Amino acid sequence: MIVIKNKTQMKTKKAQMKIQQTAFMLLAITIFFVLVGLFVLMFKMGSMQDTAEILERDNAMSLVTKLANSPEFACGSVFGTQKVDCIDADKVMALKQNSAIYEGFWGISNIEILKIYPGSEENVECNIITYPNCNLIRIKEGELTGYSVSNFVSLCRKESFEGSPYNKCELARLMVSYEAIE
Amino acid sequence: MKKIINKRAQEEMVGFALIIIIVAVILLVFLAVSLNKSKEEVLGTNEVSSFVQSILSYTTSCAEYQDNYYSIQKLIIECNNYESDCLDGRKTCDVLNSTLKGIVDESWPVGENTPIIGYEFFITVNDEVLIFFEEGNKTLNSKGSPQPFPHSIDIYFTAYY
Repeated sequence: MIVIKNKTQMKTKKAQMKIQQTAFMLLAITIFFVLVGLFVLMFKMGSMQDTAEILERDNAMSLVTKLANSPEFACGSVFGTQKVDCIDADKVMALKQNSAIYEGFWGISNIEILKIYPGSEENVECNIITYPNCNLIRIKEGELTGYSVSNFVSLCRKESFEGSPYNKCELARLMVSYEAIE
Repeated sequence: MKKIINKRAQEEMVGFALIIIIVAVILLVFLAVSLNKSKEEVLGTNEVSSFVQSILSYTTSCAEYQDNYYSIQKLIIECNNYESDCLDGRKTCDVLNSTLKGIVDESWPVGENTPIIGYEFFITVNDEVLIFFEEGNKTLNSKGSPQPFPHSIDIYFTAYY
């Protein structure tokens, strides 16, 4: 009788040991996978932030490109063939005089065009008096807050030589500032 | 009996170690793939393609006749064909080279106070190099890609950061 009791006790102890072993193993594996999961999550969160920044930058760049090719700015076929990233300076000067009409139209706080080449020592702002011997056209003068992006464009206008007109295109940067969306 | 228990425990330890190694390898592969992907995304070429598009329309100081000046695009073709010089007697290729160098130097200034470490610019017509110049040093972090244009013209501009 005692032998049977001892045998049953030993079997129970062995089973308990087995259960304990399995429980420890399961606990270790769970902790390990939780740690791995946390690492992956942290990495993903970090790359998500990077991706968001890249997307924001790309969107801003697309906005500049869209603006340069919008009817208010684009050269169209005035200077020969249809051109991409080409701004009609004469049109923009006319737009500058009527910028109040376009208040809130683009959702941008600041729009400027800076001539890069041929370059000049100092910036001369364009107005009716200085145009075309100037290098900075301020179309919309707002507060320089939020993000600022710029892209290359060709700035074309009609020039005249002894009374006959010809096309003159220069290299410029279209700069845009806009408020960040929270 | 004790030996068998020890052996089983050892086997379980080996199994656990194997799981850790496999998961570590998977993590490393995932990390490598993610890092490569983000690097590709940074290499945006929007700015460079706009730059190349814009310089093609630039009106040079080389006149074809009295009130008609060559654009860079036309000057590339003229330089390649060697058909005529500028109205003032200058060679079309010389004007093209100096104008392009001036534009690139002004637009992508290389120096200690700028993020640009160097650049490489060249134009090929029918796979033959027509214009080539470079400045600064080359790094692994670059921006730019080749852009094909009509008349078998390819423009390569790469800026190194």
